Amino acid sequence: MSQANEQTTASDVTISELLGAVKGFLMDSASPALSGRDQFNARVAANVLGIIDREQQVGPELAALDAAAAQQWLPGDSGSGTALQQLSRALAAREIDADTDFFEYLRQRQLLVATINNPRYASRKVAEERWRSES
Amino acid sequence: MSPDQLTALLNTALSEHLAGKIPGKELMQLERLSGGANNETWRLTWGGTPMILRRRPFSADSVDQLEGNILGLSLVDEAAVIQLATSTSVPVPDIHAVFDASHPIGEAFLMGFIPGESIPQKWLVDDTYEVARSRLAFQCGEALGRIHSIDCSLLPANIGPTTLDKRFAAAQKRLHAFGDISPVMQFGLNWLIDHAPTEAPCVLLHGDFRTGNLLVDEQGLAGVLDWELTHQGPAEEDLGYLCANVWRFGHLQNPVGGFGGYDDLIAGYASTAGWTPELSTIRYWEIFAALSWGLVCQTMGALWHSGHGDVERAAVARRRSEAELDILLLIEEWGNA
Repeated sequence: MSQANEQTTASDVTISELLGAVKGFLMDSASPALSGRDQFNARVAANVLGIIDREQQVGPELAALDAAAAQQWLPGDSGSGTALQQLSRALAAREIDADTDFFEYLRQRQLLVATINNPRYASRKVAEERWRSES
Repeated sequence: MSPDQLTALLNTALSEHLAGKIPGKELMQLERLSGGANNETWRLTWGGTPMILRRRPFSADSVDQLEGNILGLSLVDEAAVIQLATSTSVPVPDIHAVFDASHPIGEAFLMGFIPGESIPQKWLVDDTYEVARSRLAFQCGEALGRIHSIDCSLLPANIGPTTLDKRFAAAQKRLHAFGDISPVMQFGLNWLIDHAPTEAPCVLLHGDFRTGNLLVDEQGLAGVLDWELTHQGPAEEDLGYLCANVWRFGHLQNPVGGFGGYDDLIAGYASTAGWTPELSTIRYWEIFAALSWGLVCQTMGALWHSGHGDVERAAVARRRSEAELDILLLIEEWGNA
């Protein structure tokens, strides 16, 4: 008996699909039924779901980039905190030589962060054109 | 506070404050306007006169621990500065009543309603405002020149002079207090420190002079709103702030607020201030403005964590990434200029 030939219907719902379903509810049902501040916030909430969706897709790549940066620019015993905190504090203490390589790390991380938080921000297009082609 | 509670409190207060000044017996058409992450803005009419109420929904004490208080002035001080600005020909609303934090309404002030379009997404693109847009950069320069001429000795005591070093130290303290979460913000602050312009005399700055805080009619600039971030600093700070990418609403090709060019802004400024600012210094302050916007976003995140604010405030915290992106782009351009 060949199951592969039988027609199937998707029954699982991915995280992205769930978020899309909730977003649809907020925009198509909740928002029209609300007014004033609540209506405004329903739209904000729908946008926030987009951030969540993009972060769960892009987040691992960003974390890997930051971990690699910590390895490259931080000394062995950099104290507590996340890679980002350690890098920030080392910069504040002027312990990192913010050279071309370091600037390139910041640019590449920022392309990912912008993708997550606000892909429609106008400067992102400029950054994508300028920085993607160079890397 | 519910609209009904606010209506009752306002009816009592306005009967007293507006008696003999503005005719009316009862407040009508109270409506909360959306937008404004720090202060509530309400529209209302009193005896047929339209007015705007600005109200801070939480006590000023609750944000005292945030160094540098980026939320700005008390509304009482903000009202005092707006009243000072009425002595210039800068278009600002009349202040009708001021309530301090001990008043049942809460910290608030009531001001006149200036007709005009406040939504940048409309006046930046609608044909109706084509002439207005062509004049606006010059007019903004003129207005800023006039604001900067206000005598600083008349300001509320909270609005004192400062230095760049103090500003840098306050920014650094906030980056630490907010958990040192952004290498890009720290990189930006380091750069600003390393490229600081020569210390210039302090003037009264509007502090939040940007596209979203302007009222525009078909003739151009109709009103300058939202004075809550007013402070003292070098004149170019206000000019650079108006040009920051984040306030161009996507119209990056028009560096002045998404509607104009640097030359018109500088010419307008020179016409009322009597001196001509350097473009490079204005551009330095664009980078400073990007860092400041990032710090505002971090402040919003911190406030939300401390229980103040709704989903919009939580979402604004994520807009820090806009500031970070601009910091990197602008520093790169500076190096290539």
